[in-house]
Amino acid sequence: MIINKILNVDDYYYDVFMAISGTLTGFSANELQSTGLAETYYKHILGQIETATFLEFLNVSKSILENSFSQDQLRNAIQSEIMADPGMQDMSNNIITMWYLGTWEGTYVNELSYKESLVWTVMHAHPPGAKQPGFKSWAVQPVNSNS
Amino acid sequence: MSNIEFKKDVIIVGTGIAGSLIAKLLTDHVFDTEKGKMVYRAEVDHPENVRELSILMYEAGLEAGLELDSSSSLTTYNEYIRKFYMEEAKVPNSPYPNLKQAPSPDVLDMEKIIPPFPDKKGYLVQFGPMPFASDAIRIGGGTTLHWLGTTPRMLPNDFRLTEKYGIEINKPDSEVKTPINWPIDYDALKPYYEMAEFEIGVSGNVAAQEYPISESMEEYYGKDYVFPMDEIPQSYMDQKIINGLAGTCVQLNFEEFPLTMVPSPQGRNSTPNPAYGKAKIIKANSTDSGYKLSLNNIENEEYKALGSVWNPYMGERCEGNASCVPICPVQAKYNALKTLKKALYKFNKNENLQKHKFISVQAQSVVYKLSVDQANQEKISKIHLRRYISKEKTDFVEEVVDTSDSIVILAANAFENPKILLNSKYTVIENGQKVEKTVANRSDQVGRNLMDHMVMLTWGLFPEPIYSYRGPGSTTNISSFRDGNFRSEFSAWISPLDNWGWSWPAFSPGSDISEFLGQGLFGAELKEALAYRLSRQVLLHFEIEQLPNPNNRVTINDQYLDALGIPRPVINYELTEYEMKAMEQAKLASDQMFKRLNIEDFTKYTEADKNTFIYNNVRYSYNGAGHIVGTHRMGDNADDSVTNSYCKSWDHPNLYIVGAGNMTTLGTSNPTLTLSAFTIRSVESILSDLENKFKN
Repeated sequence: MIINKILNVDDYYYDVFMAISGTLTGFSANELQSTGLAETYYKHILGQIETATFLEFLNVSKSILENSFSQDQLRNAIQSEIMADPGMQDMSNNIITMWYLGTWEGTYVNELSYKESLVWTVMHAHPPGAKQPGFKSWAVQPVNSNS
Repeated sequence: MSNIEFKKDVIIVGTGIAGSLIAKLLTDHVFDTEKGKMVYRAEVDHPENVRELSILMYEAGLEAGLELDSSSSLTTYNEYIRKFYMEEAKVPNSPYPNLKQAPSPDVLDMEKIIPPFPDKKGYLVQFGPMPFASDAIRIGGGTTLHWLGTTPRMLPNDFRLTEKYGIEINKPDSEVKTPINWPIDYDALKPYYEMAEFEIGVSGNVAAQEYPISESMEEYYGKDYVFPMDEIPQSYMDQKIINGLAGTCVQLNFEEFPLTMVPSPQGRNSTPNPAYGKAKIIKANSTDSGYKLSLNNIENEEYKALGSVWNPYMGERCEGNASCVPICPVQAKYNALKTLKKALYKFNKNENLQKHKFISVQAQSVVYKLSVDQANQEKISKIHLRRYISKEKTDFVEEVVDTSDSIVILAANAFENPKILLNSKYTVIENGQKVEKTVANRSDQVGRNLMDHMVMLTWGLFPEPIYSYRGPGSTTNISSFRDGNFRSEFSAWISPLDNWGWSWPAFSPGSDISEFLGQGLFGAELKEALAYRLSRQVLLHFEIEQLPNPNNRVTINDQYLDALGIPRPVINYELTEYEMKAMEQAKLASDQMFKRLNIEDFTKYTEADKNTFIYNNVRYSYNGAGHIVGTHRMGDNADDSVTNSYCKSWDHPNLYIVGAGNMTTLGTSNPTLTLSAFTIRSVESILSDLENKFKN
């Protein structure tokens, strides 16, 4: 039974989730893993929506990932098979938002999801009230910026 | 109902900064029965001659928020932080318990008002026509838990707007004009500003301050004065803006205003300034004209920053959490719990902190009414309170406390103080007629002159990354418009540069993500769009002085009660042309600065904004500043004001009313430092009253 199998993070669907998350967010799977939230998010989605809906999204994602052999192909496939379909696009936006903000439909998944939300990394800052960079850090260009 | 018989010397309502400052200063003094004087505790010659002051404080907030031993305060504060992490809308009150028994005004409750129907969604009942836009929190330590911590002093002319600029306002319900000068001037308040800067622990650079005033900085601050700690570094963004604006002017009304970008003094720890010297104490000396407080060195002790309540070595210096509002996780930012702890605990002979036996705090106790004994000089004879039992339930115990032999100090906030007073009615016989009176309200000024800074925000994208969202909320302000002859026509303002992007006006970064997702962006493109947008976001504030207006007021009405059956504050609030014109001028200033800095303007004011108006065919919107002041103004006569300059009620010999509500006018500075200064000064009068009481 696939419904039982998907709950198991050793299952290949989990890898699909991480791979498509990487493509959708622009972060590498390693960067996503290092939030410590990958498994939490995977299970959280399963708890929030119909398994079949998630499964459909993962099946489409799997086929996109398996049949794309270049970044251009991958981007085009996501455009046509996910972004062009309102239901699939909602799902994809929810997943992107979860990684970027730590929220699912406006609610934080847990405290860590706030602290590890990636939008702060993108802007070379940190979530307010957590991961503080130290006295005077704000007076200089961020050390992790390449610009 | 239980009648509490124990007699206290002093009863303080509220544990915010005003109540805590008074509690701390009073507990540092005792009555020397031999000298017949109040003396500083450590300077008592013969301990057998000491009479301790007994003090009781009431706090409407939860018991847990007042347990200040290390482990309890750490536990409670961590709960605040965890709640903050989990709240989607991280508004000022978001970390703290929202109590049905002691509700707080919340910015999330504020709505547009369609007269004549009030907005009564939250705690405040707002008749408008403009919603009052600021919140406060009823909790141990009060609203200093979520203040930003900016601590500029007021300017000399702020205390004399009538004398200097001819501004007068209407008397209540009348067209007769009345002046709005303060009963004290800047020079009188100056030593108390120094005490407040010590107690709060201000970081800043006196030499870098620059204001549009005729006094030199040496006159303004005093020769060789320095703040206790070095300047909080200005942000990377500040430096970029300063580079672009330094040496330039803004033109308004055919007048040139040179732009001065000043590092803001702040109540947050940095590095102690060696020039500040020793650790200090605030001590009263008896003089012929009464008690005088002064700041004195402790010879064998260097000044140190005071960290968190649970561990003084944590938060000794700001760590850049960038969450000052609503909560500093390490308490490097001052909050009144630090002062309260100094009142509740004293060092014993072995230099260990020990609970002080003569002061206690009773939490979960909502004071709602005072009674008057007409046979005894109209003294406040009783206070009435409702003490609720648990966080969950609204069951309460009614308590009545005899205060005929006590000094009563109302130190709740500028909504709560007038609410309590207006709910305290009594009947007197005058010329054979029964007349109903309200406590402390002979002048009819209780609850009137509610003011706030109207914060007009302008925002845009800087031409290069300035990496906002880092550091304290604001580290620099533009001081150019804080004073000038234009004040006869429109408000002065201060312009803080805001380090936290567009989070306030546009709910960034969440709104930016939604916007880009709506455009179908994903992957590397999304990441680049966010990096571009979020690292360039600039936000300027224009904090506009509101004049006192007798029609802007807190009242009460039996129709609107809270869960304990206590009246809720009913608010009437409007703008005048004086403030609207200031926003027009501030927007012109903003446009000129944006142009000079090549900032792409994203400012948008729409009809959907909660605080919005059209002036000269242009729409302006603004927010609240959290600067709730004016509702029990001080003055130099009983006809025009609620208290004298020592915050003592004109009408009742044992009643003080302290806090931001005493401010006669608002000026352009954040009010906490000023309210702290005159609250500290009020202790001189309280000590005299106590001396008289103990002598008799």
